[in-house]
Amino acid sequence: MQLHLLNRSPQSTAVYRDLGEAFGADDQLLLIEDACYAALPAASGVIEAFGGRVSVLEEDLVSRGLAGRVSPAITVVDMKGFLALTETHERCVSWF
Amino acid sequence: MTNIRASDIEPQDLMVVLRHPPHGSHWLREGIDVALVAAAFGQRVGLLFQGDGVYALLEGQQAGALGQKGTHPQLAMLEMYDIESLWVSAAALSERGLSIDDLMLPVKPLGAEAVAELMQVQPHTLIF
Amino acid sequence: MLNYALLVHAAPYSHQAALSALRFADAIVTGGHRLAAVFFYHDGVHNASALMSPPQDEIHLAEGWKRLHEDHGTQLLVCIAAGLRRGLLNTDEANRHGLASHNVEAPFELTGIGQLVDAMLNNDRLITFAP
Repeated sequence: MQLHLLNRSPQSTAVYRDLGEAFGADDQLLLIEDACYAALPAASGVIEAFGGRVSVLEEDLVSRGLAGRVSPAITVVDMKGFLALTETHERCVSWF
Repeated sequence: MTNIRASDIEPQDLMVVLRHPPHGSHWLREGIDVALVAAAFGQRVGLLFQGDGVYALLEGQQAGALGQKGTHPQLAMLEMYDIESLWVSAAALSERGLSIDDLMLPVKPLGAEAVAELMQVQPHTLIF
Repeated sequence: MLNYALLVHAAPYSHQAALSALRFADAIVTGGHRLAAVFFYHDGVHNASALMSPPQDEIHLAEGWKRLHEDHGTQLLVCIAAGLRRGLLNTDEANRHGLASHNVEAPFELTGIGQLVDAMLNNDRLITFAP
């Protein structure tokens, strides 16, 4: 069970493909920085592959003006929530 | 080309995933450096070549026009450091029109399920 | 309580990742955990520059890292191979290379990649922030 951190916009399709290949059945994905744009409904095609196990970092959404635009399938977490995800997942890998 | 099954994968102490091609950036070089140092410290190290990282394995690479070394000399040193668990994403190869025969090292091709399984069994993974 | 280490690949003021790393570092220590070490690698070595001079209304990243060391004992480890190539030197290295100035000072330490391997093996979590 791993936590995957991703910080690229959904326009960077190669990193989403590589992450998709490595993503395990019990893994979680946290979108930070420019990956926040993948939390918009328009990007649902890219996010589908991660089977509803996707969160997004609130403060990065807010700074980008995206707070009210998140797809309902995605969980919004604050910095404490980010920390909690790293507490519950023994391993964390970062895709960029 | 027969892909390795998930059950054939042996966990290492550290796996380094290489996703960047040679010459265009320092990611590949600095990723391989970590693998070599970890191996020199007695860790069992495996490498996964994924995405454009598969281009690191292409035969026929040379130093750049300004004498920049590239990464093929580093890869040639892997065996000396006992880094022998070398995996490659079969999808990344075929998307790029490459086959195992185009590559400079004996790497094991992994199907998508085996890549995910490989990630699950490693205690430590670094992505470059 | 868990022991954390961070790996920072991102240069300051080029990409958000260096800021994200500092934010997460604060979350670790305020969350009751220990941040044992931050290892600066790739372009992340520039976080250690003593000459960093951002405008006064912007966060000072190097000061932020130093504060973690002062308040929580976090080791600030700068990869020497990545640093020397990019012009990050302490007094010892500047003398060794016959250079008149240096820009890495304590609590930042120039060190080898072996320290990254140690940080990974000896802590419960290693979290990477890359550009």
